[in-house]
Amino acid sequence: MSPGGSRVTAWILGGAGALAALVAWTLLSYALASGGGVINRLPDPLTVARELVRYAGGDLVRDLLFSLRVFALGWLLGATCATLAGLALGRVAVLGSTFLPIVEAIRPVSSIAWVPLSIVWFGFGLTSKVFLVALAVFLVVIVYAVDGSRRVPADLARTATMLGMNGWQRFRSLILPGTLAEVLIGSRVSLMAGWGTVIVAELVAADFGLGAHLIAVEQSYNVPAVIATMICFGLTGYLMNAGFSVLERALMPWRRDDVGALR
Amino acid sequence: MISARPIVRRALLPIVGIALAVAAWEATVLGYQLPAIVLPSPKAVVAALRELLVTRAFWRDVGVSLYEFVAGYLLGALGGIAVGVLMGEWRVFRMMATPVVESLRFIVPFAWIPLTILWFGTAFTGKILLVAYAVFFVMVVSTTRAIAQVEPTLSRVGTMLGMGRWRLAWQVHLRAAAPTIASAARAAAAIGWIAVVAAEYVGASAGLGLMITNAASSLATPVVIAGMIVIGAIGAGVSALIGWLSRARLDYR
Amino acid sequence: MTAIRDADGPATRAAAEHAAPAAIRAHGGELVIDHVFHDYLAGGRRTDVLNDVSFRIPASSVACVVGPSGCGKSTLLGLAAGLLRPSKGALYWDGAPVKMGPTSHLGMAFQQPGLFPWMTVRQNVAIGLRTRGHSRRDAQATADRFLDTVGLADFKDAYPSHLSGGMAQRVGIARALALKPRLLLLDEPFAAVDAFTRLKLQQEFKTLLRLDRPTVLFVTHDVPEAIAIGDIIVVMTQRPATVQRIIPVSRGERDRASPAYARKLAETLECLGVTSDMGGE
Repeated sequence: MSPGGSRVTAWILGGAGALAALVAWTLLSYALASGGGVINRLPDPLTVARELVRYAGGDLVRDLLFSLRVFALGWLLGATCATLAGLALGRVAVLGSTFLPIVEAIRPVSSIAWVPLSIVWFGFGLTSKVFLVALAVFLVVIVYAVDGSRRVPADLARTATMLGMNGWQRFRSLILPGTLAEVLIGSRVSLMAGWGTVIVAELVAADFGLGAHLIAVEQSYNVPAVIATMICFGLTGYLMNAGFSVLERALMPWRRDDVGALR
Repeated sequence: MISARPIVRRALLPIVGIALAVAAWEATVLGYQLPAIVLPSPKAVVAALRELLVTRAFWRDVGVSLYEFVAGYLLGALGGIAVGVLMGEWRVFRMMATPVVESLRFIVPFAWIPLTILWFGTAFTGKILLVAYAVFFVMVVSTTRAIAQVEPTLSRVGTMLGMGRWRLAWQVHLRAAAPTIASAARAAAAIGWIAVVAAEYVGASAGLGLMITNAASSLATPVVIAGMIVIGAIGAGVSALIGWLSRARLDYR
Repeated sequence: MTAIRDADGPATRAAAEHAAPAAIRAHGGELVIDHVFHDYLAGGRRTDVLNDVSFRIPASSVACVVGPSGCGKSTLLGLAAGLLRPSKGALYWDGAPVKMGPTSHLGMAFQQPGLFPWMTVRQNVAIGLRTRGHSRRDAQATADRFLDTVGLADFKDAYPSHLSGGMAQRVGIARALALKPRLLLLDEPFAAVDAFTRLKLQQEFKTLLRLDRPTVLFVTHDVPEAIAIGDIIVVMTQRPATVQRIIPVSRGERDRASPAYARKLAETLECLGVTSDMGGE
């Protein structure tokens, strides 16, 4: 596997690949339209594009804002709780040894499993969805927060001791920034988890937002609109991810982030 | 701080933690006089769980969900590894496929749920394909990366020994990348399993997710929580199984 | 487990018995490097590595290539192996141009032993023979023989993760030699082991060469090692590298206690721009 190969080649081949995929999509849609096969009603890319434009000029912004509001609130709640919990569990050894195993046991159980319980508790409204997103974000970020609160670079700690810093000063200048830095990294990883949870919550609740719109057009058998909405969802996720990477690089230029981390 | 020996810390304190959590749970229920609909006591949940375990319908639902998961997982994992190897070995293909893979990655499996319902109704096929899709993308990305990270000396050795390109890929690269691919397979299983459950929340004719949703509609909260515990247990079980399998076969590290 | 094998040790005698009568025949071919230039593209920039390199390695002799780090010694090996195509110029093996791709006359050992961690030591040595069409039984028998020769008979069924660095390197060399190569290419194979082990490995290696007598191209940064092993020393310059001088080494100069050795060492070091007298002001 030789290195090199200019970026131009990557762009050209990538474009060719995308084009090939679109062509395959179009061909498939024509092949299936004549009936036969399990999947009927696969609209061709142009129909989807038209539908996308229509949606963009219509309710897209409103739905998007609803969903983003859920996401933002949930993310803030989850990240804040995770930071506080991470500081507590990471710095206070007793708390950590006692409660971290419980967290580790619960973590693999995605917040999606909590959807029915959340409905029982909070109904179908905003609170329920925010709770689920917050939970999803919390479960991801807590690990980073605990890590960050524990991992103070040894030389910085020694410098702090030499300068005669007291507990509070150490906390403010060393521990808190370190924890927040890790929380930021974990937040990018939790982006997709949180955004995915938004859609599941909205699919089930089906009142407002992109997910609700998805259910609505599904129930009216509007396949192009369904695909268009899915694309909106993916696009938003991509933009958030990209935006977050930019933010991360601006705030912490010395870190090399792990692009493409698994959920 | 804690002068006790490590084993005390590692074994005793977590147990204390769990006991504290359960006690707090019980106390909250009693103290606030919470109705069982809102927060059932731990005892009620355990009772509901026991009840489930002897109900035939429950096991049928579990079987349905597991079947959908396993079928989709195998499909997605094998396909994902195959495409991942292709992308890892063949630079042209990788550059062509990357934009498509990367964009589809952002359309999370959950977003596909309504479409699969439109196309396949509530039948098994839809959920199987959904799981396959979710698992496929995780495995493609991680397999590609795992193959890229194979120690270059091994490739040179294989070429020197006379291995052609695809023999090298199969006998050397895949074997060398296997441990990394196996741990990705564990993560993929978690995602696939939750995809099944989520799909069943939205639209299903049978399955664990449907059972729990029904229980939620009739406000049978103990059953809901019992169901969540089952979801977690199966998820943990599958993950442990894959971990055990990969250690048994791949423990040459 | 492995003891030092000196020139007339039991391992050599046993190996000589295995090797059958024609052990003195010349097995290797001639490698000619003819005005080779090489550059590569990385990150959009062209880097010149080799700048008009020419030399000849007579059949069955050992050429040691020394030079500053990064001067392109490893690139030379890649070209000789047919893994790379030279940007300009050509390489000839046995009179014919070097072919690209895996060939049957070749054996190579690298800085990292590169053993497949999922195979036992024996399987690692045998795999090359299997790839070339030998039956499993033959391949394993040959592998066993070469492992005996390098003194790792007790580790045939061990996995690479259980071996020390020196032992792993021995396996790597056994693997290369088991192919009965007519051309043996080595890329600083002893660089990653400690100094003591390196000296032992040098001795063992010379013993092994007596069995089949391939042509050897041996890249090293260790000048004493080059004098110990090589029939000729090819001294390269900094990148873009060319051949500075070709220094022949004769038998008498290999004895580290002799004045002839000291002179050869000084000559070579001077070529590399290093003074051999470290006792200056």
